[in-house]
Amino acid sequence: MHASDIQTALPVVDRTTPAVEAARLIARDHLAGLVVVDAAGRPLVVISSADVLGLLVPGYVLQDMTLAGVFDDAGAEEMWAQAESRTIGELLDDEDVRTRELLHVDADSTLIEIAALMVDAHAQVAAVRGSGEARFVTLPTVMDAILTGFDEAGARS
Amino acid sequence: MTTQIVLALIVFVGAYVFIATEKVPRITVALVGAALMVVIGATDDTSIFFSEDSGIDWNVIFLLLGMMIIVGILQQSGVFEYLAIWAAKRARGRPFVIMVMLVLITAVLSAFLDNVTTVLLVAPVTLLICDRLGITPVPFLIAEVMASNIGGSATLIGDPPNIIIASRGGLTFNDFVANMVPIVAILLVVFIGLCWLLFRKELAYDPARVARVMALNEREAIRDIPLLIKSLSVLALVLTGFVLHSLIHLEPAIVALLGAGLLILITRLEKRKIFADVEWETLVFFAGLFIMVGSLVNLGVIDMVGKAAVQAVGDNFFGASVALLVGSAVFSGIVDNIPFVATLAPLVNDLVQAGGAPAEPLWWALALGADLGGNATAIGASANVVVLGIAARNGHPISFWTFTKYGLIVTAVTIALCIPYLWLRYFAG
Repeated sequence: MHASDIQTALPVVDRTTPAVEAARLIARDHLAGLVVVDAAGRPLVVISSADVLGLLVPGYVLQDMTLAGVFDDAGAEEMWAQAESRTIGELLDDEDVRTRELLHVDADSTLIEIAALMVDAHAQVAAVRGSGEARFVTLPTVMDAILTGFDEAGARS
Repeated sequence: MTTQIVLALIVFVGAYVFIATEKVPRITVALVGAALMVVIGATDDTSIFFSEDSGIDWNVIFLLLGMMIIVGILQQSGVFEYLAIWAAKRARGRPFVIMVMLVLITAVLSAFLDNVTTVLLVAPVTLLICDRLGITPVPFLIAEVMASNIGGSATLIGDPPNIIIASRGGLTFNDFVANMVPIVAILLVVFIGLCWLLFRKELAYDPARVARVMALNEREAIRDIPLLIKSLSVLALVLTGFVLHSLIHLEPAIVALLGAGLLILITRLEKRKIFADVEWETLVFFAGLFIMVGSLVNLGVIDMVGKAAVQAVGDNFFGASVALLVGSAVFSGIVDNIPFVATLAPLVNDLVQAGGAPAEPLWWALALGADLGGNATAIGASANVVVLGIAARNGHPISFWTFTKYGLIVTAVTIALCIPYLWLRYFAG
């Protein structure tokens, strides 16, 4: 089995994507992170869902966690509303946010190559080179493929 | 002048230029400078580690370390956030009253904590309060950082230059309280008046938004009451130790370290939390600076300049105080005041040794100039840079010139007020 067999399309975001829209993608698909693409649609980096969540919370609360407790429910709702103007670009420009270099694998990479590279890079997702549109392999897909092979080998023996 | 002295001066001036331009991290500059001083034979291990005159000033390093540990633990209690929100609610959302209360809280805190820590504590809660009131936090942040620089000059532990001055001049915590608190109190009153003049147009009061401040629950800020009680008790003990220096004969560094040790013992926090606020880079930077300045002491450069200064000053100590005050303010507005004071302290010590009691006000002139000069520009003090960073990250950028425009006015007024204070307190009559 090769990367091209298990590749899939993933929702991607770019610098201009509103934080709220990125959050909706994460919530809808239960994603651990998002791939950020450039203006031409080329995958650039991976951002974690926790960092996207950070865009919804005012910066001063993240700087001083003690303040998180002082809001009442109405105040908290107003606080969420302020996140509307924030974009993914702010995350990319923030020196304190660690974006991950996107791991790349070849379309003909074998399952074991992909698995080894993902373990080494602690990556949840890898972009597949040589596929026309942006295509990715994700950790659950790789796991699923490995377990399928494992089960098949077990059945044969 | 020998080749060795010329080389040492090149290293020293070069290091200053690199520190001032901030092209290279200051810790790198201080360590490379110190290493070069050793290479050219201007200092050695015995001098660096064991000499009181030309070595690392361990009193300064360990006083800073002890206070950083105590403050780092205390700030986790949430007491500062509690105070700020409580003040905003007491002010019933009126912006100028809130500004006055935050300025006073910041100034008082700054007298006991270092300025950067103070603004790191006060700035986020200020952003929260202004957010609730729907007003710009920019005037508040500028006023607070300036209050922090003013308040920090009041005590021995309020600003790193004061710690260096105290150690080099043999001055106690009580000496600082007696000589600096009166003028700092006057400066704060005047500063509040300046805040009104400078910022009043930006402090619009919207009664409709007051309820949003009143809805904040400051009690939720204090998450660990036992930690609060323990850390405030230890801080009170440490301050008592500073005040009772003449009775217990313990140097401030020892008192702070004992306090830090006691606090670690009774709070049993994990290591990460105990040392969260310790700025190891700053401590090493200090060590490097002391080695560089000590090298000039070893080579007789400081002594030479000191003798020239003694001759130039004669017995005109008021003139020298004013020159030192204004010169320190100008210099500290442009570059970091820590290396400046580290260099000037041995020189002032020479002048005070030669002039006796009438020359002692020179120490206060140096402290006031170096501490208050930090307000002059956006890069005049580390706290200014930190606040500008916080403001920018929260969508309220403060430009260099916006800050400096206010900073120059505040510095000019506060330094000008120090001149009659020095005259009336030490030289009149």
